Amino acid sequence: MRSFGTVLFGLGFILVLFVAMPLVRMILAADPAVLKGVLAETRVYQSILLTLRAALWATLLCAVCGVPLAYILARRQFPGKSLVEGIIDLPIMIPHTAAGIALLMVYGKSFLLGRLFSRLGVGFVGTEAGISLAMAFVSVPFLVNSAKDGFLAIDPRLERVARTLGASPWRVFLKVSLPLAWRSILSGAIMMWARGISEFGAVVVLAYHPMTAPVLIWERFGAYGLKYARPVAVVLILICLIIFFVLRALSAKQEEN
Amino acid sequence: MLRLDDIVVRLGDFCLNSVSLSITKGEYLVLLGPTGTGKTVLLETIAGIHRPRKGRIWINGRDVTRQPPEKRGLGIVYQDYALFPHLNVEQNIAFGLRSTGMSERQSRRTMEDLVRFLDIGHLLKRRPAQLSGGEQQRVALARALVMKPFLLLLDEPLSALDRASRDRLRHELKRIHREIGVTILHITHDLEEALFLADRMAIMENGSILQHDRPEAVFARPNSRAVAKIAGIRNLLEAIPENGRWVTFLGVVDIEDILKNCATDPGQKICISIPGWNVEVFPGKPEDSYLWKGTLRVAETRLIGDLVDLVLSGGNGGDDIRTSLSRREWETLSPFVEQGKNVPVGICKKGIHCIM
Repeated sequence: MRSFGTVLFGLGFILVLFVAMPLVRMILAADPAVLKGVLAETRVYQSILLTLRAALWATLLCAVCGVPLAYILARRQFPGKSLVEGIIDLPIMIPHTAAGIALLMVYGKSFLLGRLFSRLGVGFVGTEAGISLAMAFVSVPFLVNSAKDGFLAIDPRLERVARTLGASPWRVFLKVSLPLAWRSILSGAIMMWARGISEFGAVVVLAYHPMTAPVLIWERFGAYGLKYARPVAVVLILICLIIFFVLRALSAKQEEN
Repeated sequence: MLRLDDIVVRLGDFCLNSVSLSITKGEYLVLLGPTGTGKTVLLETIAGIHRPRKGRIWINGRDVTRQPPEKRGLGIVYQDYALFPHLNVEQNIAFGLRSTGMSERQSRRTMEDLVRFLDIGHLLKRRPAQLSGGEQQRVALARALVMKPFLLLLDEPLSALDRASRDRLRHELKRIHREIGVTILHITHDLEEALFLADRMAIMENGSILQHDRPEAVFARPNSRAVAKIAGIRNLLEAIPENGRWVTFLGVVDIEDILKNCATDPGQKICISIPGWNVEVFPGKPEDSYLWKGTLRVAETRLIGDLVDLVLSGGNGGDDIRTSLSRREWETLSPFVEQGKNVPVGICKKGIHCIM
């Protein structure tokens, strides 16, 4: 029994090292003075803010439709349900540059939808809206799937009892289902936000400018080499880690309450 | 008060077959049947959770078949109580009142008497996870009762409790029924519970209601073998007509008196339902009180609390006859009623019922 546990632990640990080592090495090798200098650079600072903001918009807007969809997927049976689930999972499977091109074909000016938005004053090529769109497309499965798991974990009888107590389906959703699935929705949103922040492929196709942090890192790596790309990368990783830990802690606290 | 007309519900592979049932105001009806027989589906259909494919549901003369649960005015308490885990006890109880638009203060006032009646005042600020099973059940009852439902639906409300709490809460349910006067439909697979609580009993199996009557009547005159089994009748004896006599594995039985008023087809087998208390060890009544008298071997004795269960074997490898003795009776008779010994046994005619 003991050797069984040791082997499993050992194998698992290799994977943890595989993920953690490059990040730790990069952070440890960074010179704090250089990092401070990089953060003070307006271009870097602005691109990081843009990245965080665009991903946040993507997450918030997708939550408005994604949470109700997750609830429907968790609670109702309907023809074509697995097709819908498959469509939602699709962005995880396809290459993100290809996703960017696909988005360009619908939201670019050559297609009706793109033209319609452009008439309303919203363009998606080379704009912040385009960045949010690309981020939303590739990261929405994280939100929907996590929220769906959250709703699935609620005993349907709680909702049934609430209905017999005179609550309308809306009230049941707002007062019972949503508060109970809140933690899963929040952690799905964190995942979606984090995934949006790190998106490169789809974003670069729709909007090379204004530059998001991953695009900036790529540009610096291509134009000036590793030495110049690294500090920006470290800053982005650190920011992501901080967000990640703060929100994780928040959602854990929610659970305790 | 509640009437179900030919309700058909299909859920995946499961089907409720043309269920008809009625409950009068103030009645305590227990729906008894084995697990997986569709009792909960029926309850949830009455509550409006599942929509019947056919049939009608009437509450107080109003057709509610198409109405959503929130418009039916029924309360439900599930086996594991389904208390809202994110709300404290007070918020749980107030949930329904608040849904009607009542203010917090008003709802607190409305629930006051009920909280006192159920003795849960000290629990109001606690979360469901901090309550014992019995306390959770009282809170779930309060949450349903505070809405003054026309009908309270109880889905195996006692089966998740230990024996002591179960006994206590059984009395509690009886008290609630008596003092609040609410009409109750209670489903269970526990015969003892059903007999203790029911004004009337409906026996259910495989999605159908087999018999619906007062508990004594179901017990005395089960209308089928399935009902007799669910009602806990210990012995079901098959009797075959042979040359004008009825023959069972025990031999010839005298059931002519019992069959006098029944129309039996010639040659048809019947089933004699014999409750355990109809089997006498060392029979001492006049000869014509018994439909059968003879000697059986004690195959097994089992001590269950104050009772001793006896399995008496006919000796020819056939069926058994089962009965119980009180502990006191058994102690008097024990030298004669040991395992492996032959004992004289009589089956009384009184209380016997024949199932065609």
